[in-house]
This record gives sequence, structure tokens and C-alpha cells, in this order.
Amino acid sequence: MTLQTCYENMGANYNDAIGRLRSERLLQKFVLKFLDDGSYDLLCKSLESGNMEEAFRAAHTIKGMCQNLSFSVLAESSSALTEVLRAGQTDTDALFAKVKEDYESTVNAIRAYQAEL
Amino acid sequence: MSKEQKERILIVDDSEMNRSILVDMLSDDYDTLEAEDGVEAVSILSKQAMDLSLVLLDIVMPRMNGFGVLDAMNQNGWIKNVPVIIISAENSSDQVERAYELGATDFIARPFDALIVQRRVVNTLLLYAKQKRLIGMVEEQVYEKERQSDLMIDILSHIMEFRNGESGLHILHVRNLTDLLLGRLIAKTNKYHLTMADISLISTASSLHDIGKMAIDEKILNKPGRLTDEEFAIMKTHSAVGAEMLSRLPVHQQEPLVKVAYEICRWHHERYDGRGYPDGLKGDEIPISAQVVALADVYDALTSERVYKPPFSHEEAVRMIVNGECGAFNPFLLECLEENAERLRTALDHGAVEEVRQRKLRSISDEMLRGEGGASRRTLQLLERERMRNSFFASLTETIQFEYTASPPMISISARGAKKLGLDEIIMDPRNNEKVFEVIDKKVWDEVARRLRSSTPEKPEARFDCALHYDGATRWHRIVTRALWSEDTEPKFDGALGIVMDIHDTHMKLQELEQKAARDPLTGLINRTSAKERMELRMQDNPGSHYALAEIDIDDFKVINDLYGHMFGDKVLQQLARRMKNSVRSTDICCRAGGEEFFIFLEYNTDIEKTIDRIFRNLCFTFERHAVSVSMGVALGQEVGLAYQSLYHAADIALYAAKRGGKHQYRFYQPSLQNLLDVEPEDASGEKA
Repeated sequence: MTLQTCYENMGANYNDAIGRLRSERLLQKFVLKFLDDGSYDLLCKSLESGNMEEAFRAAHTIKGMCQNLSFSVLAESSSALTEVLRAGQTDTDALFAKVKEDYESTVNAIRAYQAEL
Repeated sequence: MSKEQKERILIVDDSEMNRSILVDMLSDDYDTLEAEDGVEAVSILSKQAMDLSLVLLDIVMPRMNGFGVLDAMNQNGWIKNVPVIIISAENSSDQVERAYELGATDFIARPFDALIVQRRVVNTLLLYAKQKRLIGMVEEQVYEKERQSDLMIDILSHIMEFRNGESGLHILHVRNLTDLLLGRLIAKTNKYHLTMADISLISTASSLHDIGKMAIDEKILNKPGRLTDEEFAIMKTHSAVGAEMLSRLPVHQQEPLVKVAYEICRWHHERYDGRGYPDGLKGDEIPISAQVVALADVYDALTSERVYKPPFSHEEAVRMIVNGECGAFNPFLLECLEENAERLRTALDHGAVEEVRQRKLRSISDEMLRGEGGASRRTLQLLERERMRNSFFASLTETIQFEYTASPPMISISARGAKKLGLDEIIMDPRNNEKVFEVIDKKVWDEVARRLRSSTPEKPEARFDCALHYDGATRWHRIVTRALWSEDTEPKFDGALGIVMDIHDTHMKLQELEQKAARDPLTGLINRTSAKERMELRMQDNPGSHYALAEIDIDDFKVINDLYGHMFGDKVLQQLARRMKNSVRSTDICCRAGGEEFFIFLEYNTDIEKTIDRIFRNLCFTFERHAVSVSMGVALGQEVGLAYQSLYHAADIALYAAKRGGKHQYRFYQPSLQNLLDVEPEDASGEKA
């Protein structure tokens, strides 16, 4: 599987990412690194314990990473969640469900890609 | 910075991935350092701001966000030397605007393009490198140029003085005094609109004040006796002649230096009351440049030796000038003269001349390059060196040193101290930091804070003993602080410096003694065993001091008891104990050794005989119409050694001598008293009562 196929599988924009980072090697490195990042776990835990400030930062970090890697789908849903959390609203269930769904499909696509390396 | 050395970039972002993307992009060409939040960034900046070429800064981060970092960089002046590029997904215009307002150089929105990041980093670094180089070059050039023209002026002045038969330093002195007086004047009033550059110009031009004397006949100029009226009239032409010389210069007429020199030459013999020459100008009709030089000229003439007079002292000269014996001057300038007495006295040393010149140069290049209020690169380097020195000394001692700034609230602890306490070296907002209060009790913190804020700029020090908890133990410490007050007319609390010393061992020992100190229930004085321990501790603690032990016995106490009963006897004992305590300082030791026997152990540094005499008189009193007296034997540590046994033994012998001498008296121990123990005494030689 190519990295481009991996991007297509998660509905993300490969051309945009490679256009900005300008190196397939770099892009691959950071895509794989995305699996190790703890922000998603932190987001889940913070929402569960009601620490909305921390949840905001975690969502914000996910959004930033996705923007860097052009993971457009997850970038969009995490961005929506970030704004709601920034505004201090607590009704986040629907948005979080969408983030969860997008995160899982993103991670699954990367895992599948990783398995073939 | 050498070409080999890579420039160093600090990358601040809470996401590890974001940091490593940037590191990957930049690490081929630059040294990179990473910080995962604002607190860590400030900590790195505070240690090596001078070595950083650039900061890439995220906005949203835990503990301290990017705006907080920019705030700290402004407060510490780092922002002037280290450019900051914000990289953030926060791209609402008010966020961007705020970042720029706080001094960010550039703003890159996330997601970023690698090429753009690299390009902007390079551009920013080039721009700053160029600016730094320019600052350096301009400073060097200004310095070199001033140095050369000063040298020329020094040579020409000397030639002129040689002809005038003056001391050879008169012109240098006048220039230096002019500079000092004007420096003081602008601190006092803004009336004359003088900048540091103006002051420099006037001081330099002051060297030319007597050029008109070139045209005066040498016979008159160097005449040892008094000038005739006619000669004096010729002499007086030198100011107008000097001005004319300048106005006839074929070139440079528009130069500010020439204009100022003209003012000075022509009008440095005008008087504030209008009775000077050549034009009889009055008050501020006389340019301030000429007013100052006139005063400097008179002061130096008075304090220098001349063919017709000896030198006057600084005090005499100032008194004569202020009393109007040597002309009439601007009252502002007279104040400057009086207030600057200390500096004037030293200003005429040759060494001071160079210092004034350096100070002036630095101020001028500062003014040129940065406008008012900015810290120059050199100043920052000095501060950096100061910080290095402090941290070096801190690393050598066991004490913990810290610095607290009130805004933003931040405490920084010396490296070893922080390690010892298990705290970070830099703690933002410490009052809301739980880890801090695992070490120090909140109550103690608040009390220290209260004392700091209630201190004054005149008396900023405070000390406080308290328990600190770290390393799984609780130990006693002494916190010594010095509050930092701003120099505004309404001083503002800026923060504090402090050290923390471990005093646990001494503290515990004292506490233990205090607890064990068995007290005599009747008089409340401690008993002999406790007193002995305390005496020994005190002498060990400070063996360099002077100590005395006075042993006291109430005369004929048995008779008092027999005559008036035990109740009365007890009251006498209580009264005596009270009087003992009132006769000495609270740090001295008063003890009831048993029965009617007492002693006092005291530290002294003045006349011990007087002290003992005073105590003795206090202890002889009339109680309910009965006269109570005591006998006292005194031994001095200096004579018999700093050991309880030898002191007590010697005091005992002296007491015995006092009793044998007829009681109601005191004796100091002398070796000859030893004989008393065997031989009958001769009649009381040291009797006092």
C-alpha cells in the first residue's frame, strides 16, 4: 500500500500534505508517529472526568496535528469540538462521537498501511 | 558569533509531533532546543536568552501559553534581542494582533508549508543578525570618532593652557564639571530641553571657552600681581574676541558645536543678575551652556592654585559661590552644585575623566539606536554576567537562593536549591502551585509575603524561621528576604531576593534545652543544670565574644527568714529574681542555683565593671522597709577560660572574698584571691558598697 492509498482510505488529502512538507520520508515518519500520540487518550479521559480545560487543549493539539498532516476529515471534526470547548460549552457528546469515529478510521487506515511496510 | 557555530532556535509547542516536524525541517542548518510549554520556555530563556537566535512559539499550551511567554520576554527585555515567530492554528485576527503587539516578529498559520517556515526563519535571522552587527558597528564608530576628536581637543587645550599659565588641567576640569552639572540639571528640571547628546556637545564645546585669551598680551595674561584697570579692561575683551574668532571661521558655521562654542565663548562672563560682560545679559537671556561653563570655570579657578592665590577647599569654594562672593548664578545650577558635592570632589581626579566620557558615549549611542528606556546590548551582557556570577556563588553554598517577581508572579530558585527541595527552578504563579505547598506551609508563605509587602524601601530586609518539608523529612530553616521596591515616588512592590538556610540542628538543640530547662517554681528562673548547658552552648557558638559569670548570695538570708518568716523570705527571693532579670538583656542567663544562691551569665562588649556595678546596685534594695543586700563574685571568661567549671570556680572564690570582706559588696576574681582560701584576709581592699 502506498502512503497515498492510506490517505485515500481515511478520506484525507495526500497532495496537500506532500505539497507542504515536501518529503515523502518526512510525511511517512509523522503519519506513523500519529499512532503514538497521547492526545486522543487525554481527550477521552478529560471529557470523562469533566476537565474541560484539558479537553480543550487535547482537542486543539489533535486539530493542529491533523492540519499539519492534512488529515482533513479528523481535522474538521476535532476543530469543531475545539471551538465548542473553547466557548466553554459542555454539550460535547455528539461532536465527540464524530471525533471518535474519524479518529478510529484514521488510525485504522494508518495501521493497515503500517502492517504492509 | 563565529561562522562554524550554528544559530540556536528554541521550539516551543506542547505537541511532540509538532515540535519534531519543525526540528526535522530545521536541524540541518540550526541547533534546535525544545520546550513543551511556556514555563519550560521561560526557564530556558532565563538561562540562555543571549545564546538564542530565534523562538518558534505555539499559542495554546498547558501551564503557560504563548502570550505568557511573550509577556515574560517583554518583562525581562529578551524580546529586544530574540525574535519570535508565532506558529499557531489560532488565526483569529485579535489573537494575531495581540501577538504582534507583544513583540512577535512574524506569524505563521498552521498548517504550515515547510518551505515558508524555512524561508521566514532565514529572513528573520538575517534581519536580526544585520541589526546586531549594525548596532556594534555604530557603537564602535561613534566611540572611535569621539575618542579622536577628544584627543585633538586635549592637545589644543594643553597648548592654550601652557600659554595662559594655567594648571594644565583647567580645561579638562571645566569640561568634566560641565558634564556633571548638566547631568544633575536635567534630573531636576525639563526647562532647558537638554538631551544627553546636547550635554555632550556643551561639555565638548566648553573646552573652547577661553580661546579668546590667545589674543591677549602674555604680559597681562601672566602678570603675577593685581591687574590695573586698564589691563583688566583688556583682559575682559577675551570673551568677545573668542566669539569673534569662531564667527570668522571660514567653514563649519552651521555646526552645532561651533554655535554652542560661540555662546560659551561670548557669554561665559555674563552674570545672572545682568552685571557681567560683554553684553550685560540677564537671567535666562544667557544661554544655559554659557551659564554652566561660567559656574564650572569659577569653581575650578577657586579650587586650583594660581600665581596670585592658594587653592580653596571644595567646601570653601562652594560656600563662596553660594554666598555670591564670586558672581551671580542661576539658582537651579547652584542647587546642582551643592547637591553634587560628593561627585564634584572626585570628578577632578584624572581617572574620573575617562569614566565620564565612557558613560556619555554609552548614553549617546543608546539614545541614537534605541530611543529612551531601552537596554543596550552591553547592558544586557552585563546583566547576563551578573546572573552568571550569582549562580556560580549559589552553586558553592549550601544555602538555597531565590528570586521572586510580583508580576508576572514567578519564583526562580537556584539550581541546587531547587533540586534539594524537589521543585522546578522556575515556578510560575507559585501561590497556586500545589507542589510549592508540599514544601512550605501556606500559612508560612502568606506570613512571609505579608512581611515582604509591609517592609519599606528603607528597611527591606526581613527574616523568618519556619519548617520546610522535603526529602520525606521536616527541617527548620531560616528565610532571609530583601524586598525589591521600585524607585517611583510611590514605591511599588516588584518582588524579592532571598536565601533559605538550614538551621535545623541549632534550632532543635535550643528547643530541646528550652523544654528540658527545669524552672524553679518560686522565682521562675532556670536551674543550675539547664543554665550550665545553655552557657556551654552559647560559648561554643560564639567563642570570640566576652562572657562574665556573676555569682550572687543574699546577705544574712537566714536572719531574714528567722525574723520575718519564710513567706517574707520567699517574697525577697522573688523580688531579687525580678530585679536580676530587669538588670540584664533577655538573651543573658539568670539562674537560681539553690537556696539564696543565684547567678547571672552575660555577654558584654563594653565596660564590664560599670555593668556589674549597675547590676549590684539594682540587687541591693529595700523591701517592705527591710534592707536587702547581696554579695557578688564575678569571673571573666577572658581571664579564666571559656569553661563552665573554671568560670564557676573562679566566681565562687571571688564571692567568698566578697563575703570575707564584710558582705554587701562585689569582687572580681583575681589569681591572688586563691590565697584567701588558706589565709585570713587583710581588710577589704575592693569594697564598694
